[in-house]
Amino acid sequence: MGQPELDTSQLLKGVLDLAVLAVLAEADSYGYDVVRRLRENGLDHVGDASVYGTLRRLFQAGALNSYVVPSDEGPHRKYYGLNPRGRKALDQSAHAWASFSKALNHLLNGRSNGHDH
Amino acid sequence: MTTDDQASDVPPYAAAVRAALSDLPHDQAEALLEDLEDHLREIAAEAGASLTERLGPPEQYAQELRAAYGAATSGKAQREPALRNLQRAIGSVTSSVWYQQLRAFLPELRPAWWVLRAYLVVLILTAALSPGYNLHPIPNPFSSRGLLEILATIGAILFSIRLGRRSHPLRPGRRRLAIGANVVIALLALPVLASMGTFPSFAMVESGAPEQSPDFASPYSLGSVTNVFAYSKDGKPLTDVLLYDQDGRPLTLAKDPDRTTDYPIGADGQPITNAYPLNQRRLDGTPVLQPRVAIPPWPATAVPASPTASPAPSPTR
Repeated sequence: MGQPELDTSQLLKGVLDLAVLAVLAEADSYGYDVVRRLRENGLDHVGDASVYGTLRRLFQAGALNSYVVPSDEGPHRKYYGLNPRGRKALDQSAHAWASFSKALNHLLNGRSNGHDH
Repeated sequence: MTTDDQASDVPPYAAAVRAALSDLPHDQAEALLEDLEDHLREIAAEAGASLTERLGPPEQYAQELRAAYGAATSGKAQREPALRNLQRAIGSVTSSVWYQQLRAFLPELRPAWWVLRAYLVVLILTAALSPGYNLHPIPNPFSSRGLLEILATIGAILFSIRLGRRSHPLRPGRRRLAIGANVVIALLALPVLASMGTFPSFAMVESGAPEQSPDFASPYSLGSVTNVFAYSKDGKPLTDVLLYDQDGRPLTLAKDPDRTTDYPIGADGQPITNAYPLNQRRLDGTPVLQPRVAIPPWPATAVPASPTASPAPSPTR
């Protein structure tokens, strides 16, 4: 639409891998639970399909292991967890994110400083 | 917490998502959608609202999946309404209960196909290697050719089962190749099987109905024919008729274990085995009587029949 306002869902696209990896680093989890935990952490706009698709892609890429946990009520749950490759991807992505956000914060602070003076 | 109403939401929704992604390569779609149903059931169990209310229309859900999975965005397929309707129709079929049951049952038929495909491969190879050869559904085990065919079939079946039972799954590329090979076998077998039906069948000759005259266009089909009776067109029985196949080889019949045959001895002292009818006796010594035959009425327009059935008791070589 070309609106000047920042679209959170667009932002999320770039960092969803990182967010999912971070959630799984805390504890192994299944698809819907990952969605819930992302939302609990403030990422309200995360789409269910995006998370499910991301999990499948990361799994296909060999960053996750998975196992099925039978449940008495409701469907079986496929849990995902980080394997060494996933952990390495998380470290690298976290590092990239840290320097990216630092740069952006610096820019934004510079702007606000400029206004103040 | 799960009502039937919400749970029944899942199959149509999942089918619609699959239909919207049906342009993805099969293995990619499979990898992405493997446990879509379980995932949707989880959501349906939790939420009070319908899946469409919670997740948006399935087409939109599919687009989001596609984007997140990093698959190629569909081009024309999504815009063609006719194609989309077709995809939806396929989706509704594949989500129906009877289709699911059929899908679940089909893998049990796999071993039957392993045996059948081996049989078909030998049949196809036999037909390809010897075009004139008349195929039987079951080869005659008393001819060297038929025996070879049977042994080849047994070998092929063992090999085919070994192939089918291998424990590790194939890589996607190989898997597609294997499926293709199976389809090719099935397609190639069709004309071979069809051509088999045009010859007098083994079973028919075997029934031994005396009225049945064997078809001389296919000499090797005479699997269990024990004697041949020739008649002139005005119905006179011919004796000592020498028969040869298309390559000029004497046409001889397999020995009948229930009968003894007296062959005429040629001037060179060799028995003449292709002079018909054969002079046969039963094991108890009684001669085998000539069968009754129904001579078809000859067309009236033909040149007046000239009896050619001159008995030639002394066969020349």
